[in-house]
Amino acid sequence: MTTDRERIPSLDDPDVLVQTPATIYDAIPPLTPRTEREAEFYQLEDGEMFLNLGPQHPSTHGVLRVVLKIDGEKVVDLDPVLGYLHRGVEKICEYGDWHHAISNCDPLEYVASMFSEALPVLTAEKLLGLAVPRRADYIRVLAWELNRVASHALFIGWLALDLGGITPILYGFAERDEIMEMLAALTGQKLLFNYLRIGGVNGDLNHDFMSRLGDWMSRAGKQVDSQATLLNENEIFVNRTKGLGVLDQATALRFGMSGPPLRATGAPYDVRRAHPYSVYPELEFDVPTRTDGDSYGRYLLHIEEIKQSLRIIDQVLHQMPDGPVMAKLPRLIRVPPGRAFAALESPRGQYASYAISDGSDQPFRFRIHDPSYFNLQAIGDLTRGHLLADIIAILASLDPVMGGIDK
Amino acid sequence: MSAASNPWNRLSLGGKILLPLIALITFVAVGGAVLWITGVGPWATDWLIVTGQANIEILRFIAAATGILLFTVPAAFVIIFMELKIIAMMNLRLGPNRTGPWGTLASTMAGLKVLSKEDFTPRGVDVPVFTLAPAVAFLASVLTLLVIPFAPGMVGYEMELGLLYFFAVGGLGVVGLMMAGWASYNKYSLLGGMRAAAAVISYELPLILGVIGVVLLAGTLDLGQIIENQSGGILAWYAWQQPLALIIFFIAATAEAGRTPFDYTEADSELVAGFATEYSGMRFGFFFFAEYVNVFILSALTVTLFLGGPYGLFDIDPLLGALGITTPVDTAAIDPGSLGSWLLAIPLLVPAGLTLALTALVWMVKSSWGFIKSLVVGFVLANLLLMGALSIWALFSFEALMGIIWFLGKSFTLVALFVLMRATYPRVRIDQMMNFAWKWLMPAALLNIFVTAAAIIIIKEYLS
Amino acid sequence: MLRQLDDRLSEHLVVPAEVMDDTIELITWPASLPALMRTVREDGDLRFELLADMCGVDTGVTMQVVYHLWSPLSSDWLRVIADGLSRDDPRVPSVTFLWPGAEWAEREAYDMFGIEFEGNRDLRRIYMPPDYLGFPLRKDFAMPDDASRGPGEGIRHMETPFAPGDVRRDPVIRTSPGAGARIGPDGERLVIAASGSVDKDALDSGVIVEGALDSGRGPA
Repeated sequence: MTTDRERIPSLDDPDVLVQTPATIYDAIPPLTPRTEREAEFYQLEDGEMFLNLGPQHPSTHGVLRVVLKIDGEKVVDLDPVLGYLHRGVEKICEYGDWHHAISNCDPLEYVASMFSEALPVLTAEKLLGLAVPRRADYIRVLAWELNRVASHALFIGWLALDLGGITPILYGFAERDEIMEMLAALTGQKLLFNYLRIGGVNGDLNHDFMSRLGDWMSRAGKQVDSQATLLNENEIFVNRTKGLGVLDQATALRFGMSGPPLRATGAPYDVRRAHPYSVYPELEFDVPTRTDGDSYGRYLLHIEEIKQSLRIIDQVLHQMPDGPVMAKLPRLIRVPPGRAFAALESPRGQYASYAISDGSDQPFRFRIHDPSYFNLQAIGDLTRGHLLADIIAILASLDPVMGGIDK
Repeated sequence: MSAASNPWNRLSLGGKILLPLIALITFVAVGGAVLWITGVGPWATDWLIVTGQANIEILRFIAAATGILLFTVPAAFVIIFMELKIIAMMNLRLGPNRTGPWGTLASTMAGLKVLSKEDFTPRGVDVPVFTLAPAVAFLASVLTLLVIPFAPGMVGYEMELGLLYFFAVGGLGVVGLMMAGWASYNKYSLLGGMRAAAAVISYELPLILGVIGVVLLAGTLDLGQIIENQSGGILAWYAWQQPLALIIFFIAATAEAGRTPFDYTEADSELVAGFATEYSGMRFGFFFFAEYVNVFILSALTVTLFLGGPYGLFDIDPLLGALGITTPVDTAAIDPGSLGSWLLAIPLLVPAGLTLALTALVWMVKSSWGFIKSLVVGFVLANLLLMGALSIWALFSFEALMGIIWFLGKSFTLVALFVLMRATYPRVRIDQMMNFAWKWLMPAALLNIFVTAAAIIIIKEYLS
Repeated sequence: MLRQLDDRLSEHLVVPAEVMDDTIELITWPASLPALMRTVREDGDLRFELLADMCGVDTGVTMQVVYHLWSPLSSDWLRVIADGLSRDDPRVPSVTFLWPGAEWAEREAYDMFGIEFEGNRDLRRIYMPPDYLGFPLRKDFAMPDDASRGPGEGIRHMETPFAPGDVRRDPVIRTSPGAGARIGPDGERLVIAASGSVDKDALDSGVIVEGALDSGRGPA
């Protein structure tokens, strides 16, 4: 009746026994090390063991894998292993035209994708020497700042969640969800907006968006305040984050860090002010900095930045000019040959791209600089000698997003 | 004769099990009735009681332990539901609202789901230790309930050294966690187990030292006596005389139960699930239940020691006396020992028999339901009936009924406090929490003991 | 700023510094890179402290390593291009002695282009698996895609767009061996066989197949 099916090998099958090391202290057998550093790392001293934190782990923010060398709970050394989410976006961008690059860059920063999708747009506009309609610029800034608030609200929740507090993340999501619904009304999509276009934005502000925005503005940042109430003076939270993962300004600069981790050390580097783009020069806002440079400082800085973003949103809504939202461009854009570097300030720091055009409609080379990639790099120096639980706290306070890190 | 025409073969597996059981139960019931009527039954009972006099205590113990075990499961379900709902309210979520009225059956269904999941033994684990660990953890927490007085006189097993028994058996729980951590063949589990060992042992000390103040005041380790001392309304509670001890005890109990902010053992953002990482199905369920039962038990012990146990906020006896109502403490009416050898029926026959009988009934009335569904409904009905019967039994004594209500009310209030703490606080780092135990709680507990002892001596010797 | 850069760095520059849009561009030889970088970073009038980006570029002729720097004193980015790396053995001195944060960027450039950074303590692959061969972002890297799994490998969707109009006009279908296999379920070659006049063996061997195509679906 039934045909003899081919026997599928299963792990439950005793015949396909997986050979496992004899004890749980056995090291992960490494490949032949390529560098001295790698060889040194995979050499275990007495009493040490390796612990694979990730790629599937509740608090590595995606698919980051960190090989920890631990002595008890103390982390002796660590080696982040990237590439589990590597899509080869830079290569893909070379194989599509400039419009494709927008949607290809969208998922890089999947928490605030309005920023990563701006990379090809800003770069191509720079190469084209294109002036965007002012209304489009204001709409962009509005969308960016809304997205920044959404991202920062989530950061606070993540930090608390990684420290074991389960409530703030839901407050963060409540705030974020309102903004995301709003942006969905504007762009048609809730996570990866694909809204910015070379020469403008995809559509003008609509009634649905404006009514949601007006509704939200009356209570903007309310959930963030709730988070702050739960955390700011929470003895346990402060004890867990204060003085943890301290960065000084020189080190942060040498590590090429940007965004809140750098500003928490006192360096007022914010691309919106340091190298203005779009209509930011016309807007009034401060670049908040702190001098403590620890996890707690980074956390407070995010709250400050949310306030500044709300300030910008308020101004943008008051100054929004009338006019078209899209420059008149042919559908197929042939970008003149040349090189251009464009940067913008994402919630995680300086997002930048360097593009070379050969005169065709496809970028010849499209380099994406992700801030999380450089911020994450500091984790080795920050966490050596700390406890396992602190690694998580420091990692969360650097706020990596693996979509951008792994590209 | 073909196989299909045989009625027996047409039965499902459930039916093949159920039908003989129904026949057996019917046979036993009818036979028992016949024996009873003919006078053989009473003779046999007398014989059992006379010859097995010493074993009544054992029977009583078995009955009490079974009752406690049966009690913990619904209690855990209630606590899990409370946790889901309270944290949801705090989190701006709705929480469970689908299964049962207002979602109340969500945790029960989750428990049944855990039962039906694959029980997975990973390759490389130390199988016997891995298998036994959940049972050890679960039993260690459940058995401590045996000495907690739910109402005056209504205690699983009365012991002079009840408090000592409580800590001795409760301390075994960490062995279960360590076994799980060690046997799981997983570094996260190992770290979780080691954390559990280090921290639980640290927090046992302030926990026990905090209690000593109460013991000094009460002059006994018998929990029944301790609640008796606090029977005079809210002002008689030990919480007023031992506020420091209450705080120390509550903090240490939080750590002992592994609850936030001391949920170092599971630490889901660090150690995935700690010692329970490799467990699945009902073995994980046991750990899960043990955690929640622990929460209840430690709340119950806090209530017993500091918050008047089963006694109400006010002493209403004088009021009732004025109204002409007397409330005799009829312990005989609620003492299971008075049942003699019929105690055997409680753990052995009643739950299973009642469940199966009700299942058969449901199955026959509603044949469109499958056997499993009928079994679930029968089980729920049987539990409800048993609880009803227990309540009616407790009604023999008004005081016992009020005691249960007060006791559970106070305990679940404390449980809600645990839950609120979980929703509010982040986790304490392991070294911070060790520092806290040794540098703050321990000296405070010792100070409490000295002050209490000195006060007792001063009041007894010089002031009276 | 432009003049200061030219004054201080003239011996390192291939061509004089040039302003492009909002960027000052310096093109240098790989060998001069450390000295140049040290100057722009540590000179009190330049202070390009922040390594805003670092990447490799394959121009098809040579390899480049491109650095973007930011200084609080300048309103422009500074782009430093180390040009003229040989494509067979690209080597360039590492800048990790100035910016430890360049380590991962250099690892990425090594991973993607095979550029060896001399002086980087941990130059190994970062995205691709350690046993991976080839450097994906090089222009000579054959980009494998879905088509490469079948016998007609190397066909890129974007280069051979399907145009239904062409098919209707010309019933002669050019197909690669087994191309139809990707369309039919369970490996049956349904697409062209639907007309009933197709020789399956001919399909397999990849010769020109004559016959009417009713379905309107072309070869994949």
